Amino acid sequence: MLVLGIETSTPQASVAIGSEQGVIASAMVSRGASYNEFLLPAIRFCLDQAGIDYRNLGGVAVSLGPGLFTGMRVGVATAKALAQALSVPICGMPSLDLVAYEVRYSPRTICVALDARRGEVFTAFYRSSPGGIQRMSPYGIEKPEQLAIGLGSRIEEVLLVGNGALLYKEEFEDLGSVVELGTMSHAFPNAQALVELTVPRMFREDFDSLYDLKPLYLRHSAKRIQWERIRGSRSA
Amino acid sequence: MPRSLWTTPETVVLERRIVDRDEDTLVLGIETSCDETSASVVKGGREILSNVIVSQVDLHGEYGGIVPEIASRAHVEALTPAIGEALRDADLTFWDVDAIAATLGPGLIGSLLVGVAEGKSIAAVLQVPFVGVNHLEGHLYSNLLADQTAEFPAVALIISGGHTMLVHAKGHGDYEVMGGTIDDAAGEAFDKVARFLGLDYPGGPEIDRLSLLGDPTAIHFPRAMLGEGSFDVSYSGLKTSVINYVRKAESRGEQVSVENVAASFQQAVVDVQVTKTIAATKAAGVHRVFLCGGVAANSGLRQGLAEACQRDGFSLHVPPLELCTDNAAMIAACATQMLRRGRTSSLNASPDPNLPLV
Ligand SMILES: [Zn+2]
Repeated sequence: MLVLGIETSTPQASVAIGSEQGVIASAMVSRGASYNEFLLPAIRFCLDQAGIDYRNLGGVAVSLGPGLFTGMRVGVATAKALAQALSVPICGMPSLDLVAYEVRYSPRTICVALDARRGEVFTAFYRSSPGGIQRMSPYGIEKPEQLAIGLGSRIEEVLLVGNGALLYKEEFEDLGSVVELGTMSHAFPNAQALVELTVPRMFREDFDSLYDLKPLYLRHSAKRIQWERIRGSRSA
Repeated sequence: MPRSLWTTPETVVLERRIVDRDEDTLVLGIETSCDETSASVVKGGREILSNVIVSQVDLHGEYGGIVPEIASRAHVEALTPAIGEALRDADLTFWDVDAIAATLGPGLIGSLLVGVAEGKSIAAVLQVPFVGVNHLEGHLYSNLLADQTAEFPAVALIISGGHTMLVHAKGHGDYEVMGGTIDDAAGEAFDKVARFLGLDYPGGPEIDRLSLLGDPTAIHFPRAMLGEGSFDVSYSGLKTSVINYVRKAESRGEQVSVENVAASFQQAVVDVQVTKTIAATKAAGVHRVFLCGGVAANSGLRQGLAEACQRDGFSLHVPPLELCTDNAAMIAACATQMLRRGRTSSLNASPDPNLPLV
């Protein structure tokens, strides 16, 4: 089954097409064109390179974020429309899982930290499990210094990956060898991992509902946060 | 980055489906420029087969105005089901559709992006043309859709929470903007005054309702006419004088009649808009007036403009409410006409929040 994967939740956007035999075509751009201008031409490029057409696709996979709101929305909207027009199933995957999946061979506990802007990072903890990864924590959003305190109190060794980990790397320097920092090549979620992770879900028919699928924001709109603060201070 | 890699000719030139008869062209329209999510199928540019509108009014109500981030999120959730329902209502599948249209602007960028991304994706799969439509041009077509006797040339008053504009529509794709607002859109002025008076959101319909209970001549608010030859309007002065009137009355300990304030304020808006519209129609030398946009639902404006048009021998065309407010049927209708002129967009098309009409 050929699955199209779309990942646009960070400044690095990518698309990939693959099956149970692996990824057969992919395209990636970092801080280049807008997601909206990149996506359809990039998908066309992958289809052409793979020698197939939209109608050969058996499913659509999309990264749900957390990440940049606009990117997540363009990615999810595009994926939903493609799945709808093609009448094929859709699966959504959190961006943090994709980053962890890429470093799944590490014996350490994996902590993914993606830049959430406004001085915060999106985080989740994982450990490798046969054939993949297992998430050990809820998806969260916190300040890098809070994450550093959490990491310092852990007894096991941690591999810290993601563009958020690199952006705030000085926060984690004091933790010494307990925390190993991932490199730039594993700093972003990518569509190849998305396709690899989704193909088994497609075979299990573990689909998401097309009408209900939405991005994983992990943060209210600024207006709502401001509103709740005002209401909170009034009731206090 | 080698952009040329992504813009190979195949991505731009689509296999154009040949439609046997132009009047049978089926266009799926998408509209997400502001706070309504809408999808519609229109046949031959004139017959509405479906027009699904999902309003977000409830989501924005507690904030007293549209919150762009909340609007964008709601579009992502509502658009796919809306498209599904529009096709079901029309008893069609995607593969029956000859072209996909979506609003390219003007509007909220985050909202526009959702509709454009979905519209382009569907067009790519179906290999049919994608038509990016100007939202304001779309409003003009709401009149043509609603009323078979409505034709260009006409002078259109496009009036809503987002725009206030007088357009001389000479023919399809041939427009001249005669005037606009130099500050607030009319609907925005309604909402701001309503919020000041403590009325529920959206404020326009509330003011209209209260106006019927009040005396429009009770208070004289200023009418900013901005000179003889100008078709522009301004609402900031009017808004300020409403606020000043209420504050002064309250400081004197007087009981303010909200009904009279609403009626007098609405009358001032109506007087300005009717005067400008009639003057523009005379200047353009046409005999047809189109009223469109959300504020076209205002009873005072409808009545005032109807009386003035009758006096001057102009025919007035006002679409029903579901075509006055933002809707995808007008976008599909406009796109059908653009297709006839061979105007389609590429799959690289991006929305423009400030897209001008001409
Ligand atoms: Zn509008």
